[in-house]
Amino acid sequence: MEGGRRPPRGGGNTGEAEELLARVARGDQRAFEELYAVVSGPVFGLVRRVVRDPAQSEEVAQEVLLELWRCAARYDPGRGSALSWVLTVAHRRAVDRVRSARAAGERERREGRRAHGPAFDQVAEEVEAGLEREWVRRCLDRLTALQRQSVTLAYYDGYTYREVAERLSLPLGTVKTRMRDGLARLRHCLGGAV
Amino acid sequence: MSALLRGPFGRRALHSLAAPYALDALAPPEHRRFERHLRGCDRCAAEVRALREDAVRLACSTAVAPPPALRERILAAVRTTPQEPVPQPSRSRPGRGPGRARAARPSPLLVPLTTLTAAAALVVAALFGVQAARTQDALDRERARASEIAHVLAAPDARASAGRDARGGGLAVVASAERRSAVVTATGLAAPGNGRVHQLWLVRPGAKPHSLGLLDGDTPLVATGLGTDATSLAVTVEPRGGSEQPTTSPIVQLALENVGFGE
Repeated sequence: MEGGRRPPRGGGNTGEAEELLARVARGDQRAFEELYAVVSGPVFGLVRRVVRDPAQSEEVAQEVLLELWRCAARYDPGRGSALSWVLTVAHRRAVDRVRSARAAGERERREGRRAHGPAFDQVAEEVEAGLEREWVRRCLDRLTALQRQSVTLAYYDGYTYREVAERLSLPLGTVKTRMRDGLARLRHCLGGAV
Repeated sequence: MSALLRGPFGRRALHSLAAPYALDALAPPEHRRFERHLRGCDRCAAEVRALREDAVRLACSTAVAPPPALRERILAAVRTTPQEPVPQPSRSRPGRGPGRARAARPSPLLVPLTTLTAAAALVVAALFGVQAARTQDALDRERARASEIAHVLAAPDARASAGRDARGGGLAVVASAERRSAVVTATGLAAPGNGRVHQLWLVRPGAKPHSLGLLDGDTPLVATGLGTDATSLAVTVEPRGGSEQPTTSPIVQLALENVGFGE
């Protein structure tokens, strides 16, 4: 489609999650319910994307969301948005899970497409996610193939950059550079803050 | 000359790990090494923050609403899970908590257990509160009850679930289908009113509701001998002393299929 930057993300999430996290840190259960409404979709979707297995995805998502309750006080607004913090935690956990599953040889290899076209059902998706998804997909399409593969193999499939280098038969240095350039190009294409 | 400038992980090599780090694409040893480096490198910290926000855009595009049962489980767990009080100064991720204070906790990788353990903590706390001024007989009964609670919580098939009424009052259950036992706790239910009580019922298809007893505040109630055909728990408001059969409609009802019953 046409070029241009994406307008800032709608939905009013920015700022809301920060305030909710602060209330959650003070033990406010109602605030946690509201926070759950804001972050559970992104958390579950991301975990599901990385972990794939539905039962394990639920387990990891539960772990992450409960941890938000327990450790809300650790959020430091100086280090980035609340959603970013939450998703960073979720991603880390999902990657840990998928790597240990892989190490144990448990990971099922029923593999569909990866970078595009999510494998799960779309019934419950939110409109906002649909728009965001479309934008990200478009922006991913603008990366070079190597940038895109380096970024998505790491982020969506949980491979280390060494594993990515191996899979793509590239030197380590090249993969690191592709990752950085790929993310920079994504930022330029997507514009705006989360 | 700084040691960082030497060896395979010199400063420049470390800088180049910012993008893989932001994508969680470092194996544990490199991950730790980079985090140590980050603490003393403001420029890297700023770069990582920006790269992380980019990565998060990739995350947001995958949003999918989780199953409703997940919400119930988590909100039930939240009601009984203590929070970590002090913010951690390090940039370690949540879950790697301070050792001593939380030494008895299971690792965060075992959340179903965490949930159960937290429920157990609540149960134990409630028991101590209740035990304060009891006769020996009553104490023996309490001990038997505590023992059954411990057995349910420790059962390999123990599972937790929770439901809420319109006002946010709730019923939480930890049950073991194998032991045919359940520990039921009511939290935040509206007071039943003068001369009235909350009575807990077991609901089975094709049978009359079976009384499991009266709920006393948030003291856990242990229900034993449950048939696996039990489909739900219900709480009604009854006259003091309870009723043979429910005389009012339930104020809160909780399906048991999530905890291994009703099959």
